[in-house]
Amino acid sequence: MAESVKVLPQDIQDIIDVHEWDMRTREGVQRFRELKAKSLPSVALDGDLVYESLIPMQAELIDEILRRYKEKNQNE
Amino acid sequence: MKNKIAANQYIYHTRGVCPPEIHFKIHDGKIRDLRFVGGGCPGNAQLVSRLLEDKPLAQVLEYLKGIDCRNDTSCQQELAGAIQAVQNGTLDIAESFKVQEDNTPMRSVALIGNLAGDNVALENILEHIQGCDVAAILCLGNLTGDSRLNRNLIKTIRRKKIMALQGETDWQYSQRSEQPDMPNIEPRMRDWLLQLPQVLTFKLNTRISMAFFGDYIQRLPDYSDFEPFALEMNMVCGLTNFMQDETVLPALEAMIPQFRVDIIIFSQLKKWGHWHIAGKDFISLGPASDANGLSWGLLEVDDEKIEFKIMQAEYDGG
Repeated sequence: MAESVKVLPQDIQDIIDVHEWDMRTREGVQRFRELKAKSLPSVALDGDLVYESLIPMQAELIDEILRRYKEKNQNE
Repeated sequence: MKNKIAANQYIYHTRGVCPPEIHFKIHDGKIRDLRFVGGGCPGNAQLVSRLLEDKPLAQVLEYLKGIDCRNDTSCQQELAGAIQAVQNGTLDIAESFKVQEDNTPMRSVALIGNLAGDNVALENILEHIQGCDVAAILCLGNLTGDSRLNRNLIKTIRRKKIMALQGETDWQYSQRSEQPDMPNIEPRMRDWLLQLPQVLTFKLNTRISMAFFGDYIQRLPDYSDFEPFALEMNMVCGLTNFMQDETVLPALEAMIPQFRVDIIIFSQLKKWGHWHIAGKDFISLGPASDANGLSWGLLEVDDEKIEFKIMQAEYDGG
């Protein structure tokens, strides 16, 4: 899953911070539970669980990231 | 260059002295948490530990020189040997939790959970087990509890050579950190509890099984998520809350291909349960005794089929 994020275009990489949690670890499990995720792999954006058990198409992921970015920055 | 050694725990197996093991930590070139385990004079050993606490290794070695007690050695000489073994790299760092492996394939095993010091319950269950054809008996913690019979229970387990696993209360006793209102037990009993394995692996035919008490192991100092069997514990304790959260079972299923074992047994929940997920069996042991009488688990393998039964026995006295 992280791979699909790592290959995002540079202009998208510039506006996001990526965190990957390892489900083998207690920290990863804790984050998984905080997000109320149920299956793997899972992707959360801004703390919201957006994709579960599926790897989104790159275009779909970019659209969602940009939508959230614009929403957060619309008043600036 | 300063000889700086990171905080690590060591277990040294002695020769020729009363305590079979010496446990200690080394942090920044100083000795910590020294403990002579399993024999000897507990009072003197405790004094030695206090006097040496946080002393630089070179100074400790000076103190230990030339003390003879028996068999041409002494606890002090053994400790010196342990420190030198660390310094010359022949003593490995101890794992954060103790794993015991039994590679003899068995067809059946009797499982007893949470005895909590009830020796009468143990004696009754052992009598009931006698009527069944089991290859081994395994007591998962807690072995001890708020009971005056803790001592008798430990004696029964030792006398009958029953496999036993440490539970959280047992760990607290071994660290002298039990709840203040718990009955006192002798130092050698505490040492015995300290030496118990925290994870046991065994074979049921070709199926590899692991048993452990519960999540206190994850809170042990220096616990690593990447030690053998930590993944299984993290999934059972952290992810599924001892299989009580069914919503995360899809995630568990995704992690199962990385498991080392086929059968996972735990006893912290104190509730009987058996789940079969993605080819693996998860078993929760209920208490050995409750209002309904006595219970133990019979785990059998026939060809490759796992069968788990809860066996009921009557409580006779106690």
